[in-house]
Amino acid sequence: MRSEVVHRYLLLTLTGKPLTKISNITGLLFILLICTVTLLAFYGLIAFSGQGADLDLLTDSYFHSILIFSIKQALLSALISTLLGWPIARALYYLPKLYFKRTFLSLTLLCFVLPTLVLITGFVSLLGSNGFLTPLMGEEWSLYGLHGIILAHVYLNLPFAIRAFYGQLQNIPNTSWILARQLKFSPWQKLSIIEWPALRANYALTFGFIFILCFNSFAVVLALGGGPQSTTLEVAIYQALKYDFNIGEALTLAWSQLLIAGCFFILLYRSNSIAWLNKDSHLGQWQSTQSAMSKIILCAIYIATFSFMLAPLIALIPGVFAANYSVAVLMSIGEALALTLLLGFSCAILAMIIAYWIMQPIRHTLLKQQTSLHIIYQWLANHSLIAPAMVLSVGLYILFLPIMDLDSYGMTFVVILNVLMVIPFAIQQIRARLIQFDRDYGMLSSSLKLGFWQRFSIEWHYAKSILVSTFSLVLLLAMGDVAIFSIFGSDQLKTLPWLIYQYASSYRINEASLASAILLSIYAFLLLKLERAKNNA
Amino acid sequence: MLEINQLVIQLGDNTLKYQRTIEEGEIVTLQGLSGVGKSSLLLCIAGFIHAQSGTICWYGEELNPVASEQRPIAMLFQENNLFEHISVLKNALLGTQGLDEETLMDAANALHIGDQMDKMPTQLSGGQRQRVGLLRTLLRPEPIILLDEPFAELDNHTREVATQWVAGMAKAHNKTVLLVTHQQEDVDKLSANNWLIG
Repeated sequence: MRSEVVHRYLLLTLTGKPLTKISNITGLLFILLICTVTLLAFYGLIAFSGQGADLDLLTDSYFHSILIFSIKQALLSALISTLLGWPIARALYYLPKLYFKRTFLSLTLLCFVLPTLVLITGFVSLLGSNGFLTPLMGEEWSLYGLHGIILAHVYLNLPFAIRAFYGQLQNIPNTSWILARQLKFSPWQKLSIIEWPALRANYALTFGFIFILCFNSFAVVLALGGGPQSTTLEVAIYQALKYDFNIGEALTLAWSQLLIAGCFFILLYRSNSIAWLNKDSHLGQWQSTQSAMSKIILCAIYIATFSFMLAPLIALIPGVFAANYSVAVLMSIGEALALTLLLGFSCAILAMIIAYWIMQPIRHTLLKQQTSLHIIYQWLANHSLIAPAMVLSVGLYILFLPIMDLDSYGMTFVVILNVLMVIPFAIQQIRARLIQFDRDYGMLSSSLKLGFWQRFSIEWHYAKSILVSTFSLVLLLAMGDVAIFSIFGSDQLKTLPWLIYQYASSYRINEASLASAILLSIYAFLLLKLERAKNNA
Repeated sequence: MLEINQLVIQLGDNTLKYQRTIEEGEIVTLQGLSGVGKSSLLLCIAGFIHAQSGTICWYGEELNPVASEQRPIAMLFQENNLFEHISVLKNALLGTQGLDEETLMDAANALHIGDQMDKMPTQLSGGQRQRVGLLRTLLRPEPIILLDEPFAELDNHTREVATQWVAGMAKAHNKTVLLVTHQQEDVDKLSANNWLIG
């Protein structure tokens, strides 16, 4: 009997092994790989200049003005986005029967992932020197400078804040509202005892996340900066490299950017991630009722926000009708669109696979309560959120230029760097759900000795909704890239955002509007499909 | 033979100590007041809690350094035994290493849950969920079975059925069973050796 038992035990040892170690090692290899790309980029810059950063720049007034402007515009953008996001989220939450609410929520997602150049083309048509609304803005108005940058940043990030806050409000348990009714809470008590505590934790997190996005913003500042007094570190790096080829200056700026964004990033990563792509699962039968006046105010806020989000998109329409519909233009747009889709899907698939693998050691350290290691892994996995895309692109370009024909391999670098850039977004989104799986079923999975594919299949069913929506987010972000393509792209192969930029910079605004409208339609179509897939998941 | 040698588990301020040798095929019921460490012992044997000192050996082979996924143990937890997002049938087949559906259905019918297998776990009552977990745990090939209050949510009749089924399965497949229960009648019906802890 004993030998049978021992044999069975040995058999179990061999067949029941769930490959945890292999998963962890693969995940760590991916972390190492993405860190190596970053290190190679910095090595490229340092080795080329041979003298390191230009530290004298730190005492230069030019540097101070860039630094102050970078922080100022990011702070204002984050502050306005989060301050406006709250009342709009309240409108969505307290008025569940709002007209076009689903369309509005889809639009918020579209706005967040909207390619910057589509938005800028829309804003120029609306508020540029010959814009439809410019006469209403007074003589002092200029789209270029701080106003325009903040306007565009708020447009791009307000939807994120709205969705994050709305998600938090939806998480308020019904029992809290039942208790509030029973205890006859005043509106102030409901706000301070129920609503604010639900939002408080994520408020700082949302603010910090938007701050980093705006601090690292490139295309908006490049297009709407309008001069040296409105330049951020990211654009200054681009200018130092492209116009002056001053590597020392670029390095100092890059390190400064890394340091500041890094500090915020570390603070952010000590907290949880923000869930903002969840399904609308709110039942809400016991939520607080609002007075008539309050309802009117919330409705007005909702309509104003809807109009604000639609305006720059509608402003593209006249340009679409006035565009030159020559075969050459249509061919260019068609080819660019095909390339954009190909690159987008390649990046999104790779990023999702890598993000899932990277999550394996991160989850493992959490299960084993290895807090320090957990933070280190997370930091390394997400470091590209603060590493400027421009710096990474130029670093690799300089490093590989003497070694290989970058015209032939340019697209490979575009894919690699875009994957690197979107991985943090993918991790941010899937992290909470996978960790929840471990909390609910970690012991059960271990006890059942599930193999990798068996476990993956169960996890897939558990997290399908968030994985699908994350894929859509990552796909759309990758499709909108301009910064990386500006370095590795070629004149023969252009993506649609880059074609829009070329049209706009050569004053062919109507063609830019046409290309923008097509890209926008593709984005809306993909979002619609993927939102549907997510809700059916 | 399962040997628990001077095992010490630290849970907060509580130091829990265990010593026992359990023969292969033996059924042992664990009893004691709440908080004395019955579930902790099972979790430690299964590899989910680290022992501060002492050893757990299965036929002389020390299990302490072996990962939970590699131990010759199947465990039924107090809760969270079913994945909520996959069907009861799929849940029941997990970890059973190619068990045929007919055998599974025979066992399910014996436990009066044969007609529940196509449902989702959320459609089942607490007692039905518990029996699905119990069914799977006993049908798994591992020689050591750990059951943490497996009959807690069952009515008297179902409890009787489930107890007899567990006893029969354990005997037929020579399983070594450790089972937490608060009911003396479970000890009697399982013809088990009782281990009073605390």
